[in-house]
Amino acid sequence: MDRALKRRLEARFGERLLGPIRQRHDETEIRVAPGDVPEVMRALHDEPEFRFEALMDLCGVDTGSVMQTVYHLWSETTPDWLRVVADGLSRDDPRVPSVTFLWKGAEWQEREAYDMFGIAFEGNRDLRRIYMPADYTSFPLRKDFFLPDDAARSPGGGVRHLEQAHAPSNATPGAQVRKAPSS
Amino acid sequence: MSADLTTARHASSDDPRVMLEEEVGVFAPIPPYPPRTEREAEFYSLGDGEMFINMGPQHPSTHGVLRVVLKIEGERVVDLDPVLGYLHRGVEKLCENADYHHTIAYTDPLEYVSALFNEWAPVMAFEKLMDVEVPRRAEYIRVLSGELNRVASHALFMGWMALDLGGLTPILWSFIERDEIVDMLASLTGQRMLFNYFRIGGVNGDLNHEFMSRLGAWMSKATSQIEANQALLNENEIFVRRMRGLGTLDREAAFRLCMTGPNIRASGVPLDMRRAHPYSVYPDLEFDIPTRQEGDCLARYLVRLDEVKQSLRIIDQCLHDMPDGPIMAKLPRLMRPRPGRAYAAVEGPRGQYATYAISDGTDQPFRMRIHDPSFVHLQSVGLLTPGNLVADTMAIMASLDPIMGGVDK
Repeated sequence: MDRALKRRLEARFGERLLGPIRQRHDETEIRVAPGDVPEVMRALHDEPEFRFEALMDLCGVDTGSVMQTVYHLWSETTPDWLRVVADGLSRDDPRVPSVTFLWKGAEWQEREAYDMFGIAFEGNRDLRRIYMPADYTSFPLRKDFFLPDDAARSPGGGVRHLEQAHAPSNATPGAQVRKAPSS
Repeated sequence: MSADLTTARHASSDDPRVMLEEEVGVFAPIPPYPPRTEREAEFYSLGDGEMFINMGPQHPSTHGVLRVVLKIEGERVVDLDPVLGYLHRGVEKLCENADYHHTIAYTDPLEYVSALFNEWAPVMAFEKLMDVEVPRRAEYIRVLSGELNRVASHALFMGWMALDLGGLTPILWSFIERDEIVDMLASLTGQRMLFNYFRIGGVNGDLNHEFMSRLGAWMSKATSQIEANQALLNENEIFVRRMRGLGTLDREAAFRLCMTGPNIRASGVPLDMRRAHPYSVYPDLEFDIPTRQEGDCLARYLVRLDEVKQSLRIIDQCLHDMPDGPIMAKLPRLMRPRPGRAYAAVEGPRGQYATYAISDGTDQPFRMRIHDPSFVHLQSVGLLTPGNLVADTMAIMASLDPIMGGVDK
């Protein structure tokens, strides 16, 4: 845990952060509103006290109640991973600004998050499906998408071949969507 | 006979080309729907003298099932559009519906030539979630088997690269090297390719006599054998001239493209997770991080060769320093980590393999993100290739060393 990084982040971003900075093992996590992503990322990338040059991973997360996009950054100024979570995207219409203006390599990772979660990255000029066919309509990694495989212990066990994007009829009411813990 | 068949085949049409188009219709270069994005609209409109050509999905030099639509003008590539998904299995979704131990078997076939690294990242992430201390001997065994896998993977890379450029001999030689390592790992793990060897908290089996004797025999001649293999290509003028100055990537562009592994080190950035973000017992081991400044295809190839030598150094030290002790931490069979999040990354032969795992307190991961270096590297083909010859597409792609099993997940 890099306490100095935590202090620097608090001093620089202060009121922009949603909730406290969490640190565990070798990870530091900050949460920001989706609209703040470009500005925060640019500051982290450009400013000499941070210099997070490398975007190591970009992914979407469906917590069951909201959507998130999660960025993992690496810098030689700290021994920690920095995790930036853009929190609170609505599940009905998840939107977040793209970071392709800083990292061109994020383009395909954003396409993947769009394909799997339906998150629209505003500013990504090639936001189309990447794995699934163009005429596919569901978003497979969402929590309300159930696997048909009976070997998987999903509430959708027994649902047949054509995968369904809504809760199957045999799902227990209230338990259809697996939800992440509130922390 | 053959004439009859030909006639029958085209019986429905006077023009043989019509039938042929129907047959390959699925893979027609131009998609049968209107463009969905700005970029797609730009790509699928032809300028003067330009044409589309389809490469793949069954093309031998795409290292798996990849389709690349090339827009060419004469012999030059103007632009290209990789089409993925032919190998997509939804591993992340499967992992969310399997318990923590099962996910290891699911991640194995992602990059099938370096399966140990696919296992390593999730296993490390779960250990962080559960606050497990891995026994030292297990860590040494992981590093030892991992570095062997790295040598095998780089050996194959060398052969494939030459094969993509039209040289057949190196792949035969590199398969000799690779098969010896793979057999060695089979005696350790029980499997030749998809090892399923790492466990949360340790490894599946201890070093055995057969593995050690095979390893000893191989180590005694490995250096000379690898050097002989390298002489096959490094001193080949056709190969070197073809690769030099092709697909050049500078330091800033490599960072912008989110590159990791040998591909970024060939552009002069000493970014190696084993040193940049140390894990396992790598801080105790001595090795260098080879880098090159040129950033072209030849540099990417040479960096990998230098890495093989460093891997041999690490294997030597592992054998020398291997401590005694248990190979597994004491853990319950059914794991229910406390709710939390963990990110772990390892340096594989292609770059950073990482896993971001979220636990919700049940025995299945709530979300398991698998970051694969091939996927990220493949998109830079679209930037490196335009302006080069069609045949150079294969050379550039081969120098980035993507494995489609990992790209498509």
